[in-house]
Amino acid sequence: MMKPDIAIVGGGLLGRLLAWRAVLSGLRVVLFDANDRLGNEATAWVAGGMVTPQAEAVDAEPELVAMGRRSLQLWPGWLRQLPSPVHYSDSGTLLVWQRTDAAEARRFETVLRTRDPHARYEHLNAEQLAGKEPALGTRFREGLYLPGEAHIDNRQLLPALADALEALGVECHWNRRVEDSERPEASLVIDCRGKNAKSRWKELRGVRGELVRLHAPDVELRHMIRLLHPRYQLYLISRPGGNVVVGATSIETDDCSPVSVRGALELLSAAYAVLPELAEARILELDCDCRPALPDNRPGVRYSPNARLLEVNGLYRHGFLLSPAVVEEVLTILPELLRSPASGLSESPRWPLLGARAEVLACR
Amino acid sequence: MQDALKLYDRSYESRILLGTARYESPLQLKEAIEASDPALLTVALRKQMQGGSHAGQAFWDIVRSTGRPLLPNTAGCGTVREAVNTACMAREVFQTDLIKLEVIGDEVNLQPDPFGLVEATVDLIRRGFRVLPYCTEDLVLCRRLLDAGCEVLMPWAAPIGTGQGPRNPRALRELRERIPNIPLIVDAGLGLPSHACQVMEWGFDGVLVNTAVSRAIHPVQMAKAFAGAVQMGRLAYLAGPMPVQDLAVPSTPDIGIPFWVEADRFASQETR
Repeated sequence: MMKPDIAIVGGGLLGRLLAWRAVLSGLRVVLFDANDRLGNEATAWVAGGMVTPQAEAVDAEPELVAMGRRSLQLWPGWLRQLPSPVHYSDSGTLLVWQRTDAAEARRFETVLRTRDPHARYEHLNAEQLAGKEPALGTRFREGLYLPGEAHIDNRQLLPALADALEALGVECHWNRRVEDSERPEASLVIDCRGKNAKSRWKELRGVRGELVRLHAPDVELRHMIRLLHPRYQLYLISRPGGNVVVGATSIETDDCSPVSVRGALELLSAAYAVLPELAEARILELDCDCRPALPDNRPGVRYSPNARLLEVNGLYRHGFLLSPAVVEEVLTILPELLRSPASGLSESPRWPLLGARAEVLACR
Repeated sequence: MQDALKLYDRSYESRILLGTARYESPLQLKEAIEASDPALLTVALRKQMQGGSHAGQAFWDIVRSTGRPLLPNTAGCGTVREAVNTACMAREVFQTDLIKLEVIGDEVNLQPDPFGLVEATVDLIRRGFRVLPYCTEDLVLCRRLLDAGCEVLMPWAAPIGTGQGPRNPRALRELRERIPNIPLIVDAGLGLPSHACQVMEWGFDGVLVNTAVSRAIHPVQMAKAFAGAVQMGRLAYLAGPMPVQDLAVPSTPDIGIPFWVEADRFASQETR
């Protein structure tokens, strides 16, 4: 076999997606992942799978919001090209808040208007809210509706991407860990190991997220629901098969041990406050994982010409929100890197934010 | 150092203390620290420490890299025991005897529990801590805390995170007058630089802000605004504000106004 153009190390969401789009763009690709094709060890396995640029604007810079908007454009078409079905819903997000937290809603609106010039949202009163999401009833006096925001079934997506890669004849080495000292045979190696790349990218840190999976076949949610609260961040998302994902805590720690009592209580009591019907739901799982983040909580791309190594990391809480935009960006810089590997990264054409980092790192 | 803030045996040039919670990223926090130049950074141990003392190390490394001394707190503790345990853990992790002691008595407005606070203070001082208690503006509570051995007090302006500014200005000013020689740092409830400036003008020794900075739309700018306000308020206090008068007092001598008009004016003031 001819030497591959790229070897991707790390087959989580980003690695799989990048491998797939790279093959479709005509490159020869091999993929290595320390775990199996199901992806149940990936950070993306423990996720809400949200593509919600507006809802995230409250904690993300304008450029990340814009990247999220781009991802929202890319996802539906990409998902249609997959050989196996992946649940995708773009019915939008409903933001609700307790009466005493109305200030949070005002802040959210101000931030959204400041950070997203294309922001589109609707104010709903109790009646409109109940009409849109009957499960909520008239529990909340008002809400905000963010149309067009989407969520993807993460646990369908990861194996579906594996299916796609294998169907295209990509050499996928599952259950094969690549050590830092090893260098797979390829013109260019791309490190997509996320939190496991910490040995190489020392600024990476873990941000712990905890989620609860519930089986609640009687609770029908038509939209993603987010609770605005000064201390907790909570979302509820329905999944096929009568399941509801409730997330997520965000804790500055690399510790990936099981969910704490406090984490479980916070999630469950907040979820119960939003939807008391969940009292009879069954707890399927309490999950936890650490999201890889760089100090600015933005994704980062860096390149070492000597090692012919490209590193893409730091998707933080925004794996589903940002990975298509990041993948698209990496694919635009790849041809140049493959043509003249000794050169540094040129400026990232679409997202200066990624490019700024690339430039700095290229100078090292 | 001229006009230093003295807290226990250390002096600080800056009179603003900055909380480290709820920024959008560690980098943004770092920039806010650089913009406000705080004397101390408060750090909440609790949530970060789930996996033993090394968890969350990366975050602390970023905070430490700013070179500011840390002031751990017992945020979220509702009982004396919890607060004492958290303080002991914080001393080990952050290598400091300073502790900002919070014992929360009400989950809704996170109001200090005055009874638990005194009890925990006594216990911690016995264990060799230097306690900075988060308290209300109640004079008797403050005296009890001083009796227990506190050398700094941190009265609230309003409940944590509300941004309301001083809710009870009279009581705060009275507290300042009644406890003139102990550093008083206004903690919690400030929302605007003008609030910070105001309490500094009243003679408080410093302010602690977190939410007012981290939840501003542009936290780094707001950090800078607070730092400026604290400096100006302090300067105004040192400059000695003029006394407040009930009636207009011309700044230039008003030649030509007959003295009996002046006399009338004083008479009217006296009858108030």
